[in-house]
Amino acid sequence: MSIVQQLSTKHILGIKYLNQEDIRLIFETAASFKEVLNRPIKKVPSLRDVTVANLFFENSTRTRISFELAEKRLSADIINFSSSSSSVKKGETLLDTVNNILAMKVDMVVMRHPAPGAHHFLAQHIDAHIINAGDGTHEHPTQALLDAFSMEEQLGNLEGKNICIFGDILHSRVALSNIFCLQKLGAKVRVCGPPTLIPKHIHQLGVEVSYNVDDSLQWCDVANILRIQLERQDIKYFPSLREYATYFGINKARLQRLDKKILIMHPGPINRGVEISSDVADSDHSIILQQVENGVAIRMAVLYLLAAKR
Amino acid sequence: MIIRQATVLDARSAHHGLVRDILVVDGVIEAIEQHISDQSFPQIEGRELKVSPGWVDIGVQVCDPGLEHREDLESAANAAEQGGFSTIFCLPNTSPAIHSKSEVNYIINKSAGLAVKMYPVGAISLNCEGKDIAEMMDMHHAGAIAFSDGKRTIQDSGLMLRALQYAKSVDGIVMHQPLDQSLMMEGQIHEGIVAASLGLKGISAMAEEIMVQRDLRLLEYTDSRLHLSNLSAARSVEMVRQAKAKGLRVTASVAVLNLLLTDEALQEFDSNLKVLPPLRSEVDRQALIRGLQDGVIDVLSANHIPMEEENKKLEFTYASFGAIGLETVYAACKTWLGKDISDELLVQSLAICPREIFGLPKSSIGVGQKADLTVFSPIETWEYAENSVLSKSRNSHLIGKKLEGRALAVIR
Repeated sequence: MSIVQQLSTKHILGIKYLNQEDIRLIFETAASFKEVLNRPIKKVPSLRDVTVANLFFENSTRTRISFELAEKRLSADIINFSSSSSSVKKGETLLDTVNNILAMKVDMVVMRHPAPGAHHFLAQHIDAHIINAGDGTHEHPTQALLDAFSMEEQLGNLEGKNICIFGDILHSRVALSNIFCLQKLGAKVRVCGPPTLIPKHIHQLGVEVSYNVDDSLQWCDVANILRIQLERQDIKYFPSLREYATYFGINKARLQRLDKKILIMHPGPINRGVEISSDVADSDHSIILQQVENGVAIRMAVLYLLAAKR
Repeated sequence: MIIRQATVLDARSAHHGLVRDILVVDGVIEAIEQHISDQSFPQIEGRELKVSPGWVDIGVQVCDPGLEHREDLESAANAAEQGGFSTIFCLPNTSPAIHSKSEVNYIINKSAGLAVKMYPVGAISLNCEGKDIAEMMDMHHAGAIAFSDGKRTIQDSGLMLRALQYAKSVDGIVMHQPLDQSLMMEGQIHEGIVAASLGLKGISAMAEEIMVQRDLRLLEYTDSRLHLSNLSAARSVEMVRQAKAKGLRVTASVAVLNLLLTDEALQEFDSNLKVLPPLRSEVDRQALIRGLQDGVIDVLSANHIPMEEENKKLEFTYASFGAIGLETVYAACKTWLGKDISDELLVQSLAICPREIFGLPKSSIGVGQKADLTVFSPIETWEYAENSVLSKSRNSHLIGKKLEGRALAVIR
C-alpha cells in the first residue's frame, strides 16, 4: 500500500491556511468517496473507532446533516451538540462545553460558531482536530471546497476561469472562503452586489469589485449567488427586499440577455425570489443540487485526511 | 539614597547630558557630583544608568472605585512605579464615575501614601454617558487635573462645545479620545485588508479623523484647550500639525501599542491586541512615530486598560477592548523602537511635555530641588514574567517576552 499523502495542517480552520496541494489532495480523495457514494453499499470503515463531535453554536440544517452523513458513511462514532448563539455568549462557556465533551475522549470536532476566529481560539486550547463548519463572517472552508470541486466537475481546471460571487459579501463566510480557494486554483474572482454589502478593502485581496449585475453576468463563467443574510445585518444595508430583488436579483430575463450559458450556483438555503428567482434556481444552468451531493464527498475527504494525521 | 553614575537627561538642568552621582535625602536632592564618596546611603547602581524627571502617564484606567477586580489604586500605583512613572492621571471610567468632587476626593485621599502621585481626571458628563455635563468647576477646585470621559468618546457635538467653553472658566483642559461611534458600528479592528480577510468588521481611520476634525473646529470656535488622546491615524496627526501651526491650543498623545504594531499582528485573533484605538496600518504607524519625533504628538501613553480574564479569554468578537501597559512602556520602546525613539525623546514625551501641558509641579534635577526622578537603563534585559506582573490584570501580549530596557527606580 502506498504511503498516505497528508494534509499540511492539523485543523481545517479556513482555506487561507491550506495550500494548493492540500486542496488537490482533498479533491482527489473526495472524487474516490463520491464513487463510493454511488455504490449499493455506501459505507466504508475508514473512521471506525474515531469519535467526532458536531458542535453547532449557530443554526444549521444542511451543513450539519451533510457532515453527519459524511461521518456515518465513514463509520465514525458521532455525538451532536446544538445550542443557539444566545445561550452561549462567553468563551469560557465555549471552552467549558468543548472540554467537557473532549473529556469523553473525542478525536475530532466539527464546529459552527457565530464568532469569527472561534476555531483559532479553540485550537489554542484543545488537542482534537478541528474542522470549521462556519465561523461568523470569516470562513466556511468545506463549502468553498465543495463549490470549487463542483465547478471543476463542470468546467475542468479553473485556471483562468471567471467566477463572480453575487450578493451579500460583507456578511458572508462563503464569499471569503470561495475567494481564497478559487484564487489558489488560479481562477479570476469578482464580487458583485450593492456597495453597502461589499467590504471596502476587499479589492486588496485581489478580487474585482462591481456593482453592475448584468455586466458581471456577462463577464463570468460561473455565478455563485449568495444568500441575503438578514439575520446578520444589525442595521439596514439596503432599503427593501423588493428593491434588492429588482436590481440585484438573478432572474431568467437577465440570463437570456447573455450571449453564453453560465453555471449558476448557490450555497443554500435559497431565498427564492430575492437573490435568485425560481426559474433560475430550477433551470438547467443550476448545479445547486450537485453542490449538495458533492458536499458529502468533500466532507468525507476532509474527515478522512485529518484522521490520518493522528 | 544615592544614584550612582547616571547620565542626567533634563534639558533644564545644569547637569544635562553629564554622568553624575545624585544624593537624595528625605525627598530632596542634596548633592549632584561627579563622585560622592559617602557609602552610608542605599545605592542605585547599574550599567549605563540614566536619570530624568519622573515620568507621567496621563490616562490610566485605575478601575477604583467599583471595578477593583481589574485594578485598584494600590495595584495601579505599583504597576506604574514598576514602569518608571512617578505620577499618573486616573481616568473617570470607574463605578461610580469620577463625576463629582466626592469621587475626586476619594482618589486624592485614598492615593495619598501610595507609590506614585495620582491626579484624578474629572468626567465631562455624568456617568461618562455623554449627555449631561458634570460639575466640572467643583471637581477642578477639588483637585481634578483635567476633564475627560476617558475611554467613552463624546458623540454629541453640543456637549463637546459646552465642555470646551465651560472649561475655560478655570483654564482647564478637555481630553478626548476621538472616535465616531456611528462610523465604528460593530467594528473590531482597523478597517483594512486584515479585517477583510478575517471576516471582522472594521473601524475606519475616518471614524477617528472626522472626530478630530470636529474637535479642532470646536476648539477654534471656543479658543479653549484640548488634548486629543491616543491618536491612531496618519491624517489625525496631519490635522493636529496644521492646527498647531494655526496657533490652536491643542496637544496630542499616542499609545505605545500603536507605535509598536499594526493590524497585521491580529492575524491569529489575539484578543490582547484588541484595543482602542485599534492597531492600524504601517502608514499610520510611521506617521505616529514621525509625529512624536517632530513634536506634533506631545505625549506617549501606556493606554493602560486592565481587563479580567473572563472578558479577554474569549472568542475575539466577544472580548473587551484594552490592554495593560504601564509596566512595559519603556521596555517596549527600547526593544522594538530603539532606532526611532531616543531616550531624550522618551523623556520629552513621558516627563517634560506632560508636566508642562498640565501644569504639574516643575521638577528639575538640581541641588535643593524636590526629588521626582525616574532612573532607568536602556540595556538591562529582563522577562515580563506572568508571576511578576504587578497589575491585577494580565491582558498584555508582552507577558512571557524577553525585553530590553527597564525602569529601575522612581524616587519621590
